[in-house]
Amino acid sequence: MNLLAATNSGNAIGQLAAAVILGVVAIHALLPRPKGRSIALGVFAGIAAVVVIVSWIVRQFGQPSQGQVSLVLFWLFSGGAVLFSTIFIAQRNPARGAIAFAFVIVNVCGLFLLLAAPFLMAATIVIYAGAIIVTFLFVLMLSNAIGTSNENDRSREPLLGSLAGFSFLGLVLFALYQGSPTAAADALKSEYHLPAVTMTSTERTTLLTLAEHAGVVSIAATREEMLKTADGLRESYADLLGTSDSFTDELDLARTNRTMGERMAVRSDVQADAIKAQNLNLKRAVRKALNGLDNLSMKPEATAAEFKESTEDFAKLREETILLAARGELPARNVANLGYALYTDYLLAVEMAGTVLLIATIGAVSIAGRKEAMA
Amino acid sequence: MISVWHFLSVAAVLFALGLIGFLTRRNLITMFLSAELMIQGVVLNLLAFARFHANLSGQAFGLFVIAVAACEAGLAMALIIAMYRRTKSLDSSVWQNLRETGVPATIDPDALIQPPLELADDPKLPAAGKKPQEVAGV
Repeated sequence: MNLLAATNSGNAIGQLAAAVILGVVAIHALLPRPKGRSIALGVFAGIAAVVVIVSWIVRQFGQPSQGQVSLVLFWLFSGGAVLFSTIFIAQRNPARGAIAFAFVIVNVCGLFLLLAAPFLMAATIVIYAGAIIVTFLFVLMLSNAIGTSNENDRSREPLLGSLAGFSFLGLVLFALYQGSPTAAADALKSEYHLPAVTMTSTERTTLLTLAEHAGVVSIAATREEMLKTADGLRESYADLLGTSDSFTDELDLARTNRTMGERMAVRSDVQADAIKAQNLNLKRAVRKALNGLDNLSMKPEATAAEFKESTEDFAKLREETILLAARGELPARNVANLGYALYTDYLLAVEMAGTVLLIATIGAVSIAGRKEAMA
Repeated sequence: MISVWHFLSVAAVLFALGLIGFLTRRNLITMFLSAELMIQGVVLNLLAFARFHANLSGQAFGLFVIAVAACEAGLAMALIIAMYRRTKSLDSSVWQNLRETGVPATIDPDALIQPPLELADDPKLPAAGKKPQEVAGV
């Protein structure tokens, strides 16, 4: 796939420029106009541009995936989206253009699904199904299907337009290249993969096992059973989180509650701070539960209240462990959680979006209404 | 796991193609759909970052972008109707007298080649032979 692999990585910009020029030639040859349109040249240059740009992406950003299924789906959907959008902008007949646009939407929705956004995929399909049918109605109602016309068979500055578009594309890709891991080997590092915040699968498994262990302790019926089941829990948590004494604990807290100036001086983000806070919560829960356990083991005649408090501490410990294990992944119940976020964090924004839609409807009615009818 | 850069690249390509369509095409409806193509590229960007940071803010924002796109669709269609009523054309160059002062008018250089107007296949009558002659004396 990598045709230009022989060139060194300093030629990345040259390869990008070649892709841009080929793309300009392709789109310029394909755009409708009375004289000089060449489908064959356009298709040839277009395929060449796609090959060069795919090899550039693979070389700079690495092969997208180790998993075969998601790899095939990614190339299928993105290739389909690019192919149909090229057909759409080069199509003379606007009705056929609308059909090509519908295929673009279907392919983009496939990419949405790969990005774990099933609700947005369904919403986009439903909304655009309606929108495209309405567009279709407009095309059939307003355009003259017979013969040629200025609007369908001419383009406004095809060379300059495609040059502007592809220069923009080249600049955006160059900016991505500058901000990205430049060598493909770097791209294989897990920190650049989706999602950004990862823990290794063994760490996650350990966390979930520990949560299960804490759960077993929290449902112990007697003091003896609790002491017996809690065996080894302390060492496992110490291995995972490090030994926590109170000094580092306070230091962690100080880091989490930094002032605005400190946050800006130390380059960090809200997400990272949230994870630090969660880690700290887990450490506290571990300490509280294990201290309670020590008290219980030293007091043979523990009261029922003390025992109950200890079981509650272990239940809390289990919760915190599971929460930390789920960090770095979108929630499994994605749609439900999106709805929850929309109606809690973004409630005002949802209301405002509804208001904007209402205003747009009123505006559309008043713009399209006939003057005689309004008088 | 596909890296975030791949999704950003695809989104950039979609946005650029939509931009070219919007700049070069003259049919108002095609221009409107090109703007929708650009919006799809932007939403793809937002979703890629939502997945990358593993929170749902990007998805929520993508939903609002789609809501704004729906508003835009309604208003654009209403405007297209209003403009079509005035000029009976979907050509955006009809409105070029609204251009900036000092910018020369665009003139279409080549004449459009009208395809030969072919009639549909009419039913062909079989040859009827000679016109019957009047026979004298009958």
